[in-house]
Amino acid sequence: MDVMTAIKKRRSVRKFKDRPVDTAVLRRILEAAVWAPSGGNAQTWRFVVITDAEMRKKIKMVSPGLLGGPPAVIVIAQDMSLAREKGGKMGPESLTKMDSAMAAQNLMLAAFAEGLGTCVIASFHADAVRKLLGLPESIVPQLLISVGEPDQEPPSPPRAFEEIIWWEVCGG
Amino acid sequence: MDKASVDKKSIEAQVFELISYMTVSARNLIEEPTRYGPFRLVDSASRLIDIVKSFGLDSERLAGLQAKIEGGKYSAMGPEEEYKTFLEGLVSYLVDEIGK
Repeated sequence: MDVMTAIKKRRSVRKFKDRPVDTAVLRRILEAAVWAPSGGNAQTWRFVVITDAEMRKKIKMVSPGLLGGPPAVIVIAQDMSLAREKGGKMGPESLTKMDSAMAAQNLMLAAFAEGLGTCVIASFHADAVRKLLGLPESIVPQLLISVGEPDQEPPSPPRAFEEIIWWEVCGG
Repeated sequence: MDKASVDKKSIEAQVFELISYMTVSARNLIEEPTRYGPFRLVDSASRLIDIVKSFGLDSERLAGLQAKIEGGKYSAMGPEEEYKTFLEGLVSYLVDEIGK
């Protein structure tokens, strides 16, 4: 699948089939995530893959944005101590968020190319997720990605291409 | 364990799950987009209907409301007017049921 097709066809999926995702496939989409750009090449991200039904249920209870019953959830977290060490003040304040977002997009596009649906989720209680996963305080969850076989085809929201892209100067 | 105590345990677990969703939503909604609030309320209503259905309560009007919620709740992500129309439709449905 070419990149532009994946970019344009990917949707936020909130309804999944009740079938597990193969571990080899999860590994491939995680590989795509870690090939994302990283500010200062810090690579302070950490990924927690949750497939266990009991843990998914617990994570869902503290994650209002996690909708449907995805068979896998990937937590994108950041090691904030390492981010400060490598990126100074900018590391934990902004670079980690951008890195997590770029890794998330790579992961979702790779998942789409594998025939999977995903949804990126920021609506969760980060400290609750951290505690449930046994992460130390320095490792902070920033995004959740639900992953599974899609059981819906959400419509494509329109893009106002001409209004939002300017050439050379503001409004150009 | 008799059936009644098993059912009590099951209903407690489902209610606990719903209450967790509602409570974490309450906390997070302080910073989240305003339109997520109505979504969480109607989604909670749908989840509550799921719970009562799982315990054999058969209600045509609740099933009707849930079908409407599930059919349009993701309009929260679309244009505001569409979202408002969806929510107004739920209120109209309830008013019709209340008036019966």
